[in-house]
Amino acid sequence: MGEEVDMKCESCNKKHATVHLTEISGNEKRERHLCEECAHTLNNQLVKMPSPADILTSLINQVAPEIEEMSKTVCPACGLSYLEFRSQGRLGCPMDYTTFKKGLVPLLEKMHGNSQHIGKVPSRAGKELVVKNEILQLRKELDKAVEKEDYEKAAKIRDRIFELSGSENAEGTLQ
Amino acid sequence: MLRELYNRTGEWLRGTGPESDIVISTRIRLARNLTNFPFLSRANDEQKKDIEKLARERIKENELTKNLHYIRLSQISPVDRLFLMERRLISREHAGSDGERGVAFGKAETISVMVNEEDHLRIQVIYSGFELRGAWKTIDELDNILEKELHYAFSPRFGYLTACPTNVGTGMRASVMMHLPALGLTHHIEKVFSAVGKLGLVVRGIYGEGTQVLGDLYQISNQFTLGKSEIEIVEIMESVVPRITSYERMARSALMTENKDQLEDRVWRSYGMLKMARMLSSEEVMHLLSQVRLGVNLGLINDVSIETLNELFILTLPAHLQKLEGKEMEATERNVIRASFVRKRLG
Ligand SMILES: [Zn+2]
Repeated sequence: MGEEVDMKCESCNKKHATVHLTEISGNEKRERHLCEECAHTLNNQLVKMPSPADILTSLINQVAPEIEEMSKTVCPACGLSYLEFRSQGRLGCPMDYTTFKKGLVPLLEKMHGNSQHIGKVPSRAGKELVVKNEILQLRKELDKAVEKEDYEKAAKIRDRIFELSGSENAEGTLQ
Repeated sequence: MLRELYNRTGEWLRGTGPESDIVISTRIRLARNLTNFPFLSRANDEQKKDIEKLARERIKENELTKNLHYIRLSQISPVDRLFLMERRLISREHAGSDGERGVAFGKAETISVMVNEEDHLRIQVIYSGFELRGAWKTIDELDNILEKELHYAFSPRFGYLTACPTNVGTGMRASVMMHLPALGLTHHIEKVFSAVGKLGLVVRGIYGEGTQVLGDLYQISNQFTLGKSEIEIVEIMESVVPRITSYERMARSALMTENKDQLEDRVWRSYGMLKMARMLSSEEVMHLLSQVRLGVNLGLINDVSIETLNELFILTLPAHLQKLEGKEMEATERNVIRASFVRKRLG
């Protein structure tokens, strides 16, 4: 505290600071007190916090071994090459997830800690998939319940899993 | 149609809902793409037009979404686009990019659907206060409606397919906008950031990626979208956000017991500036409003409502001010008009 409401711009040290900014870079925070003019000139630098795209580019560079064999791959649908994806961080069409799968899986693992979707499924994708996904989610919940030693809950979840896998083809989802 | 919006604000600014003294709003967005088109970075003008037309027509045809306002962004001025961005109905990227694109939104401004943003569709729900379950329920239903009309790109392995792999899977970003002035004043905010980062959440400024922090307002959102279900994402947020809230409350009560005189002086000075100043930049207004809001929440100031302060955060932004005034203005002129607008509102 103790800092006054009325202060000079820290950049030009002449005008009153009317712009109060907090910059975040990574987990660091810095306060800046500037006059309008200086804030304007500095603004372009201030907004340069690492964007997900920046993070993506650095991640892509970390999974370099896969890139070697992916470098000649081009999507037949949209024409995007894997190298273009590498430099831009954006995919070109839904099919790229299949075309670049080999390069994407390690990237997704690094980015999300996982590469298998669990969660909502469009009903258009079919009842089987909806059920399969629910089972995947329930199994995660089962693990959590067991971890917490909540065996009553765990038993209920297990019953529900059996129920679901019986209604559809069991399909080996439960081994 | 936009005119109707100039004098009012969205429901999410009401200052109602759980924890609304600290959590201003809860937002969830889902990224969705259509299966038969390239993502936008690879789409040509013709394809962008086709996507926009298809989405617009389907939204207009459906019984449940036909009453949403629909605005084609290519047909409105840059100031109007900025205006929609300030209201959080569209994103900064959506306001600034070009090509055929649009937005559909409800009268209460709780739901909006951006067409041709980074993904073909960005569905969004904003609630006042800390309301993740309510927001998820609403957006899940809206997504189900749209899914019947439009064929989404989806893979069993990777989930909903998005232009950027950082969004793939659920395509879901849940975020809460938090007002954390006491953590800022006591310099504890860095600890929050590092703790939050370890739990798989990220902190941003209020207008999304790459924006600066103004008025002690922070957006906390989930980082991972793949390998966690929507409910799991909600649960992670539900376990972390209350901890930040109570941390802020602790900092507030510490200030009240240890530095009450300085604190009281600070919030009243800020209130005085807002009520008396003849020129105010929008950054300064945010900074002062933040202090006054803290003062009201701590019972130090009693003659202004949180809703009025919440609204002023939005109504004093450049595009809003120009729309309220009915003309385009340079920064200096805006500062004069802004000060007089704030004086009037705080009467
Ligand atoms: Zn492609």
